[in-house]
Amino acid sequence: MVNIHDWLKSNTFHHGQFWNLLRLIEEKEKRELTISLCLPTLNEEKTIGKEVVLFKSELQDRYPLLDEIAVIDSGSTDQTLDVAASFGADVYLSSDILPEMGSKKGKGENLWKAIYQLRGDIIIYVDADIKNIHPRFVYGLVAPLIYRPEIRYVKAFYDRPLALSDMIRPSGGGRVTEILVRPLFSLFFPELTALIQPLSGEYAVRREVLERLSFPVGYGVETAHLIDVYSEYGLDAFAQTDLDQRIHRHHDIRDLGKMSFGILRTFFKRLEEKGIVHDLPELTANLRQFQARKDRYDQVIHEIFDEERPPMIEIEAYRKKTGLNGKGSG
Amino acid sequence: MNGEDLEKILERVRRLPDELSRFREMLLANVAMITEIPAPTFAEQDRIAFLEQRFNECGLQNCSIDEVGNGSAILPGSEGAGTILLTAHADTPFPASINHTCTIDFERIIGPGVADNSLGLAVLATLPSILEGLKIRFRSDLLLLGAVHSLDAGNQQGLRFFLANSEHALTTCISIEGVPLGRLRFRSMASFGAVISCHVDRKLSRISAIDVLNQIILRLRDMKLQEQTNTELVLGVIEGGILYKVAARNARLKFQLRSDSDQSVMEISDEITGILDEVNRQIGISAHMNVIVRTRYGGLDSSHPLVSMARRVMRIQGVELRNSIHSSVISGYVEQDIPALCIGITNGENLNDTDEFVEIEPIMRGLAQLIGILLAIDGGYCG
Repeated sequence: MVNIHDWLKSNTFHHGQFWNLLRLIEEKEKRELTISLCLPTLNEEKTIGKEVVLFKSELQDRYPLLDEIAVIDSGSTDQTLDVAASFGADVYLSSDILPEMGSKKGKGENLWKAIYQLRGDIIIYVDADIKNIHPRFVYGLVAPLIYRPEIRYVKAFYDRPLALSDMIRPSGGGRVTEILVRPLFSLFFPELTALIQPLSGEYAVRREVLERLSFPVGYGVETAHLIDVYSEYGLDAFAQTDLDQRIHRHHDIRDLGKMSFGILRTFFKRLEEKGIVHDLPELTANLRQFQARKDRYDQVIHEIFDEERPPMIEIEAYRKKTGLNGKGSG
Repeated sequence: MNGEDLEKILERVRRLPDELSRFREMLLANVAMITEIPAPTFAEQDRIAFLEQRFNECGLQNCSIDEVGNGSAILPGSEGAGTILLTAHADTPFPASINHTCTIDFERIIGPGVADNSLGLAVLATLPSILEGLKIRFRSDLLLLGAVHSLDAGNQQGLRFFLANSEHALTTCISIEGVPLGRLRFRSMASFGAVISCHVDRKLSRISAIDVLNQIILRLRDMKLQEQTNTELVLGVIEGGILYKVAARNARLKFQLRSDSDQSVMEISDEITGILDEVNRQIGISAHMNVIVRTRYGGLDSSHPLVSMARRVMRIQGVELRNSIHSSVISGYVEQDIPALCIGITNGENLNDTDEFVEIEPIMRGLAQLIGILLAIDGGYCG
């Protein structure tokens, strides 16, 4: 087991360490890397415009760090795609990518299809609902991959003040992280507790890792990634970067319940696959929540499936596109 | 330079909006990033640091922050034929504690301070890259200044300090505001802004400080203001008291007196002092006035070549001129006897509210007008 304290020291960064973008680009070019940014969307017209404007202007026009900015959309009914395109992003409907594979509902589906659609050696995923978006959300995540070849997967975390007093203060993730994911990791994958915000939607990953991951299309995608990458490469493959603060829309407790349910199903599935637990009963896809109306309580049943997409490297069209046929799956 | 050159300049100005369109995202990105850095008056340092970073990235010379906090840099001209000052104020009326995030849609950028004055400051931050991209190099040096402590009690302190202490021979100054497009201000009214504070000593009087303030307001409204000098009293802010059922101990009024005559302002200022002296004769009551802003009457004549040329450039861009010609920002230049204009870049609304916005589409015409005026100044057609 890796010493978590050592890992935190060597693999935890602050975006301020990477402010020198000219140096970062020089290093990127030296290593002949290409970088793609993926913004998965579903009805994000209020925030997508600023994200595209900032990333295009700052990280393509001014500092050519990104080779590609793409919006992968799940079928927005608002003007998300038009706004993104008007400011210069490449826009794709998730259902138009690998149409022979059909279309599934969920953010994980967009992330998975991005692997096929985008060109980069590194893919950065950034949620499209961030209100205080800033170039640091990209360069802070991609820099450890550029400077440190042994790092494969970089996660974002937020809200650590730059000036620290000696006072001890709790540091952690959101509600689902602290009351569900971290306790689960503590029980089954203690090293993964070192990731301060394991569920953050912003991360940068090398293609050779991404293409070998299977993708839950729903809520469990981040948790599954962490377990799978950890099982394959160990904690040293990870890094995390403090991006200061993230302002986004607030999810109500019922939504968090659905998220937790999806994560739990994915988590149990992984435990069983890895032989950590055995003989689990068949798990229901029904989450039961309740709502009160005067003196009556009604049950509301949500069906939450944990469909998974196979590793992209197993998809024939991808192997053909990337010239992997004939090379073996490595 | 001769007339033919001017025609060339004006022809270029006609083409500029199209040439500028490729810089749209760069400018919008700067507007967004500047908007999201809080900069209440007297605490603009983070915004100025961003501006300086931009100046450094563009390779400008003499990038520096002066002792009051202004950020400045020089884009050197080909001949060093004088120095044109281009300035925008960095502060906003919003406290740092509010949510400063902004949004961008097809038509607008929405957020606190985008119009007043993130857009103006973003133009400063982006202009060096734009000029380089357009291969425009002036003969004159262009001095870019993000000015601090401008609004309200700031009283243009940053700009005044800079003008009073700059070693550059400034030939002309242009002050940039985000809105409105069509703003062309070149004169300053005489004015003073002040706070009248009333205090009631509870041991000596039961009267509410709000009643005292009311007495004062009635007296202010009774004053004879000279119509021929356009003298006007504007009551801007009133505050007082704590609980609805307790007579207020303190009350305050912020107001502005403005006029075409420095003399009128001075006389009325004396009259207000006299009113307060009378109020202070009541037992347990004290009322006093603090002047927070003063501006001097003056500026350019309507027929000055700088003003005429600015109008001409704006007409070429199809910009409809707004009526008002006065701005308090001109006062600082009047004090130093430097010809100056204040212009706006685009249209916007909800100024000084959190849903303040600017329209994106007219921005390129606003930028074109600015560059056109700079080309004309640099060509020697405005002085």
